[in-house]
Amino acid sequence: MGERIVITGLGSVSALGVGVEPFRSALLAGTAGIRNLEKIDCSGLRVVIGAQVPHFKAADHLDEALLPYLDRFSQFALIATKEALNDSGLTAGQYENAAAIIGTGCGGKETDEATYSQLYRDGRSRVHPLTIPKGMPSAAASQVSLQMKIKGPVFSVTSACSSSGHAIAQAALMIRHGLVDVAIAGGTDAPFTCGLLKSWDMLRVLSKDTCRPFSKDRSGMVLGEGAGILVLESERHAKARGADIYAELAGFGMSSDAGHITDPSVDGAARTIGLCLQDAQLSPADVQYINAHGTATQANDVTETAAISKIFKENAASLAVSSTKSMHGHALGAAGGLELVATVLSVKEGFIPPTVNFTEAGDGCDLDYVPKEVRFGSIGAALSNSFAFGGLNAVLAVRAFQ
Amino acid sequence: MSLDIETVVISAIATQKQLNTASIKRESRLQDLGVSSLDAITIVYEVEEAFDVEIPNAELEKLETVGDIVDGIGSLLADK
Repeated sequence: MGERIVITGLGSVSALGVGVEPFRSALLAGTAGIRNLEKIDCSGLRVVIGAQVPHFKAADHLDEALLPYLDRFSQFALIATKEALNDSGLTAGQYENAAAIIGTGCGGKETDEATYSQLYRDGRSRVHPLTIPKGMPSAAASQVSLQMKIKGPVFSVTSACSSSGHAIAQAALMIRHGLVDVAIAGGTDAPFTCGLLKSWDMLRVLSKDTCRPFSKDRSGMVLGEGAGILVLESERHAKARGADIYAELAGFGMSSDAGHITDPSVDGAARTIGLCLQDAQLSPADVQYINAHGTATQANDVTETAAISKIFKENAASLAVSSTKSMHGHALGAAGGLELVATVLSVKEGFIPPTVNFTEAGDGCDLDYVPKEVRFGSIGAALSNSFAFGGLNAVLAVRAFQ
Repeated sequence: MSLDIETVVISAIATQKQLNTASIKRESRLQDLGVSSLDAITIVYEVEEAFDVEIPNAELEKLETVGDIVDGIGSLLADK
């Protein structure tokens, strides 16, 4: 089986604020970060709400001299990585040879779109020379390496809304097999651009009012942004340096539906949950909480519920399942990272974040979705689900560390 | 006209390198200002945009001082 993996640092940037503390407080209070969109230059835009990082000013968090080189998605990744590394207590020497695997669904779209707008809308012939280094999908991973002086395996992973899950699983594999002792992993995305908002809108999956996962009157997903980054470490390495350990990353499951480019599949999702339990050596009875993919689309919520029921059978009735997307929105490639941070806090501190905005259970949604209010109680093990467009699935398991 | 070019070039360098414009002189060496090759192409882009000229790649490599950029733009404008 190889090295056991523990989580020793957390970093988050989301609609709930910059930093893990505002994120945690909002999960406990059931406060949503879904608001009217901050000013965006986009004529005819029908999307009016989103889960944006509130009043975000990069210069408040990063050296101003760096900003010309950083797309917003790299800014988020860098801020969350710094927080996670600081939280871990690792010294620069201890993370110098770490891996950094950064998921992203979109890449540097603000940069790309600014360039296309200059070319195709303004009819200019020249574009900004930093378009490629800022906009490339691996830019965030590179900037994490550059700014933090991380010299181990560094790359991006992309699988739409499962990008973080796959990035974390990849990092865990490296630790498990002894390639590295420390890995920085998670995801980042900044999708509030005119082109992306309109493109999402045309898929007819965006809500006009708010995000109500698993509810009868759910009206679709609400886009979010940010970064969720974790420090993973071999248990041996963490113990040797006397680190504070949040929880064990007990295992992961990965699979692909090979089905449809947008429709989710009960079988694919169930298979991934099953693979994760098997990898983590957990039985359904060991798991008290699932942080659901829970997008609040018609398709996801019924499919995910059926998949959970298929694997958990009689244990499904006593299982708590909540969607924190009801608070931080759907941050796409960052979603799994943010949600793993939520899951780790949940296991470490013994609380289950609620599904806010929940009204009454939708058809085919018959689990305990922890409506509206946080619940307290000991959690031995929890899962975090990510089921992406294109049928790319990743499920992570967290176990209380003893 | 020459002064205008100098102002634009200095302001582009100052923006890119987060420097005070007063600290940048015509004689300043780009290397001493911390201008990397990536900075240089960004500064040149800003100047190209301002004056609507095209600095050939071969010329870029010859730029050593702030004055080199100013003179280069000046001669490109004179040829227009």
